[in-house]
Amino acid sequence: MSSGLVVGYDGSDYAKAALAVAAELAQLRGEKLVIAFGYQLNKVTGEIGDYHHALEELARSRLEEAAALVAGTGVATEAVIMEEAPAKALLDLAESKDARMIVVGTRGENPLHGALVGSTPHKLVHLSTRPVLVVPLP
Amino acid sequence: MESASFAEGGGITVEKPKLKANAIGFVSNIVIGVASVAPGYSLAATLGYIAAVSGLGFQAPAAILIAFFPMAAIALAYYFLNKADPDCGTTFSWMTKAMGPIWGWQGGWAIVVADVLVMPNLAQIAGQYTLSLFGDGSPSTNATLAVGIAWIILMTVICYIGIELNARTQRVLLSLEFIILVIFAVVALIKVYTGHPVHSVHPNISWFNPFAIKGGITALNGGLLLAIFLYWGWDSGVSVNEETENSTEAPGRAALVSNVVLVGIYLLVTVAVMAYGGLGNLISHPFDVFSPLGHSVFGSGLDKILTLAILSSASASTQTTILPTARTTLSMGRAGAIPRKFGEITPRFLSPGFSTIWMGTVSLILYVVLMKTSTNLIGDAFTSLAITIAFYYGFSGYACIIYYRKQLFQSWRKFVTLCLIPGLAAVFLTWIIVKAFITYSAPHSGYAKPILGIGSPVAIALLMIILGLVGMLIQRITMPEFFRRKREIAPADVLDGDAIAVGRHS
Repeated sequence: MSSGLVVGYDGSDYAKAALAVAAELAQLRGEKLVIAFGYQLNKVTGEIGDYHHALEELARSRLEEAAALVAGTGVATEAVIMEEAPAKALLDLAESKDARMIVVGTRGENPLHGALVGSTPHKLVHLSTRPVLVVPLP
Repeated sequence: MESASFAEGGGITVEKPKLKANAIGFVSNIVIGVASVAPGYSLAATLGYIAAVSGLGFQAPAAILIAFFPMAAIALAYYFLNKADPDCGTTFSWMTKAMGPIWGWQGGWAIVVADVLVMPNLAQIAGQYTLSLFGDGSPSTNATLAVGIAWIILMTVICYIGIELNARTQRVLLSLEFIILVIFAVVALIKVYTGHPVHSVHPNISWFNPFAIKGGITALNGGLLLAIFLYWGWDSGVSVNEETENSTEAPGRAALVSNVVLVGIYLLVTVAVMAYGGLGNLISHPFDVFSPLGHSVFGSGLDKILTLAILSSASASTQTTILPTARTTLSMGRAGAIPRKFGEITPRFLSPGFSTIWMGTVSLILYVVLMKTSTNLIGDAFTSLAITIAFYYGFSGYACIIYYRKQLFQSWRKFVTLCLIPGLAAVFLTWIIVKAFITYSAPHSGYAKPILGIGSPVAIALLMIILGLVGMLIQRITMPEFFRRKREIAPADVLDGDAIAVGRHS
């Protein structure tokens, strides 16, 4: 039986909205909340090590910020940094955690990126075998 | 890695992506290796200048062939340095570790200088080919300048926003670029033998013979210096090669194959272009070697495909110019070698934002200044760029020897692969730099007027060296921490079982 919610969090206002709804649902059902930050490292060229570390640091600070935001709800949380493009990261994570649902904001990344290569929620809705909850700004 | 502020004490786990299957990984490695060199653009940028080296003449292919060997040897040094530093650094990290912070700083500076100096040339070529795509074969300087500026801005924005082509798109684009170049070369050669176009010459085996060069060593050196540029960027594929599952064998083989593929396409296209239009055509069109020829070889309409291939290659090349520079300055910023601001990541786009914008802005200013002063300076900046590339490749070779100094004499095989091959290449590149300084410091060796009585390519190089020394001095005074770093040595067990340094059965 699937349980737990996977929520994508990148620190944007959209992600904060998604996190709030996800925490509320997790609290109601008494389920666990898995907060994920996904990034893809383009290894093609140049000094990669430090760039990689910088990305990971950023991801950590974002996840800590997310954990602090939901700390008052008493929900059990887990934080995962996925080294994958956000959509793939959330799909893989939901699969490996056998999550009940994926929760994301309507627009995490910038609109131009979304228009050119497709936004994360758009990809999730089409590719996920699990329910996807897309949360708009309040 | 546990984080104290984390609410339920669960900590933060990091999930690494899964490795690709071997077969796909192998082809991808070759594609990445070749794509990061951008063969179409490299040829478009270099052929005119190589042909113009006085005394080199039809022996340009000989120079291209010879330049391949030191570059392959330096790639070997990159491979070993990368082995010890699995997190993938490049010249800045390696030189800092092996030779200390002062050399490391200069290595990082050289990368920045090389990338900034190539941007005017890239923008110029992009401008010329874009305009020729829309039918303007001989555009005015201002039109090219405008398109060139737009090009730099667009590419900077793309890198800032972090829109990256995925591996599959890159494969498709590169394959197209490749196929078009091969078809172009073959059609040109067929026409040379069947139609005898004006100025055409039959290819001769002596084109590959370095001893047939009339201008002797000086001319060969001039050719080599520019030919090095053709292979510039090839090293970046080496660091990606770690990705495959069978990582003891695959990287070496993929690197070898991509190198052979590159040399093959370079020689084929060079011979075809020289045979079809002669040398004069190359010399008089340094920025757009292919557009007039493409029209003549392919006829109207089809020639646009060749132009598109060069443009797609130039766009790939602009990105593989901005990305590594931004990452080098990010790395230097985080190490405290330059102001910390350069080490920042833009949260929204996850790119090294400040470094990227800075790189784009400096390139833009340099391009406009050079264009407004004299387009000849762009050619000289290009020559001087080759000196910079030879410097940081050569010193990466020395870094390999110094870093592995405790292991060099453990076996013959290690001595040859870790010391002899990179060492010979490094000495060779050093010789090229010294010779280039002597040749190009003569007042009228460049395309532009001499600066303070010194040939403009060397004047540009000297200016960059002085700027680098001043910059380093300022950093040393304001942020001394980085300069207190100690030299390191390669871990003793890092090459255990390595297919190249040790061999599989030992």
